[in-house]
Amino acid sequence: MNSFLRLLYRDLKAGLWSTKSMIVVQLVTPLFYIFVAGFGYAAVIPKMIVGNREISYVLFLAPGIVVMQIMFAASMAGAMLWIDKRTAMFAQIVVGPFSRWQYILSKLVSIMFQGLLNASIVFLIASPLLVGLRVSVEGACYIVGSLMLGSLFFGSLTLAISVFVKSNEAFNAIFNVLFTPLMFLSSVYYPLEKAPIIIQAASFANPLTYAADMLRAGLLQVYVLLLPIEIVALIAESIIAFAVATVAFRRVKP
Amino acid sequence: MPECSIETSELTLRYGTLTAVDHISFKVQNGEVFGFLGPNGAGKTTTTKMLTTLLRPTSGKASVLGFDVASEGGKIRPRIGVVQQEQSYEYALNVERNLDLYGFLWDVPKKERKKRVELLLDKFGLQEARKTKPPELSMGQRRRLQVAREFMHDCELMFLDEPTTGLDPQARRVTLDFVRDKVRNGVTVFFTTHIMEEAEYICDRIAIINHGRILALDTVKNVKHKFGGVSVIHLRFAEYNDDLDHRLQSLPGVQRIVHPQQKDEPLKVFAEDANAVLPGIINAAAALGAHITELRVEEPSLDDVFVQMVNSKGGEAR
Repeated sequence: MNSFLRLLYRDLKAGLWSTKSMIVVQLVTPLFYIFVAGFGYAAVIPKMIVGNREISYVLFLAPGIVVMQIMFAASMAGAMLWIDKRTAMFAQIVVGPFSRWQYILSKLVSIMFQGLLNASIVFLIASPLLVGLRVSVEGACYIVGSLMLGSLFFGSLTLAISVFVKSNEAFNAIFNVLFTPLMFLSSVYYPLEKAPIIIQAASFANPLTYAADMLRAGLLQVYVLLLPIEIVALIAESIIAFAVATVAFRRVKP
Repeated sequence: MPECSIETSELTLRYGTLTAVDHISFKVQNGEVFGFLGPNGAGKTTTTKMLTTLLRPTSGKASVLGFDVASEGGKIRPRIGVVQQEQSYEYALNVERNLDLYGFLWDVPKKERKKRVELLLDKFGLQEARKTKPPELSMGQRRRLQVAREFMHDCELMFLDEPTTGLDPQARRVTLDFVRDKVRNGVTVFFTTHIMEEAEYICDRIAIINHGRILALDTVKNVKHKFGGVSVIHLRFAEYNDDLDHRLQSLPGVQRIVHPQQKDEPLKVFAEDANAVLPGIINAAAALGAHITELRVEEPSLDDVFVQMVNSKGGEAR
């Protein structure tokens, strides 16, 4: 078997799927957000007009939560590198029949795979909400593109950060400090059109907004005005983040 | 196949102003166990990391299995095995799965993996712990797992960086014997340690390194002969005092005296010619009324030679 695929299998078996509690958290949390918070807020939030359509708050929230979960799942790439450094498995692997390039790529592909799987399960469980929606081929491209680019961007970002982290405390602190503003300064929880201008400005610079808007376009046929620009920006930022992660990765001392 | 498994020439690695490895040159022949000995911080692990392509040399050259470590790492890595000094394991998988996954990473077929897992669990005394995850193992068990894991795949050259750290004497012996078996099957071993007893037991040739420089390189026997070059007189007295110590120190032919560090150790007198020194020792003891309870002459151990070499000032390569 190809050495990259062997590494990928290792990441899934020893990394992502070895901690059952993590899998449960990754699946249960978004369902709580969608079914509990979504329906709770929907009682007080009337139907809203987003882009070109009127939709319920639950439908608006669901794609945002899926994308947010992609961001959290992608952070596992950084966590896996951090754990590999801490348990000296990183050095053990790069003295084996693998290149550093294969190592970093396996991390990103594994979290992409995990992200797509998580999203599919969440969509499946949330399918009663989605009854009546038709996803076109173009829409499917938006969905897959959003999930993959989101994984690539956030996976690369967390990998690059993990290169420089030296302690567990720093690792946890950085991710908490980074992810909280990313979550709330985005279009995950609310449409940006009516938000204060400062929040709008910050949110339009946030790749999580692009991924959420792209997923809504694919799933709900809701198109925000800046969607084409957001897609280009997300592609460009994902490529840049991957390049930064690759360069930073050279600095990892085994 | 290249003539030597490892060949270095003026290999050097600097961290800023610190020279961790300083122009070392040596060859490791195919099929031998080459011991790389030195105190902590001598440059053993740094050398190992350069040879295993983890660190890039600052200057000098090194080839492993005929390939340059700086430019042909991709050709070297699939053919070597490495047991690092740092403990490493898949923390979330139990012992059995750790072994199996490692074999899988090296593309060992499933049937063969199963066979090897059982063999290694038996050999390294890990059968009872096979379903236990590494964080719940003792330090010695984790080390055994790490060493055993490297035997899941075949290799031509194995780097063992202080592989017996944390092992009890029995596990240490099992590990060394297993390595010996592999050597009989044609594997070359680069063995890093600071435990001289191990080096004497397993190594065909040794290099002693300190402050990044090689101080001695030869077979264990020749190193002892060339660099020991002395006899060690083991002595015990019913009473030992400063007067007697001064007398012994001033005897012609006495190189140095090593006082016992523990209660049950003898006094060691190092002399080029024991026969020439012995009458002086006996006379000095008689003159001061000190009763000799034990007297024997021995060749210096590798430990003695090692301590003498690393403690000697200058540490010039010889």
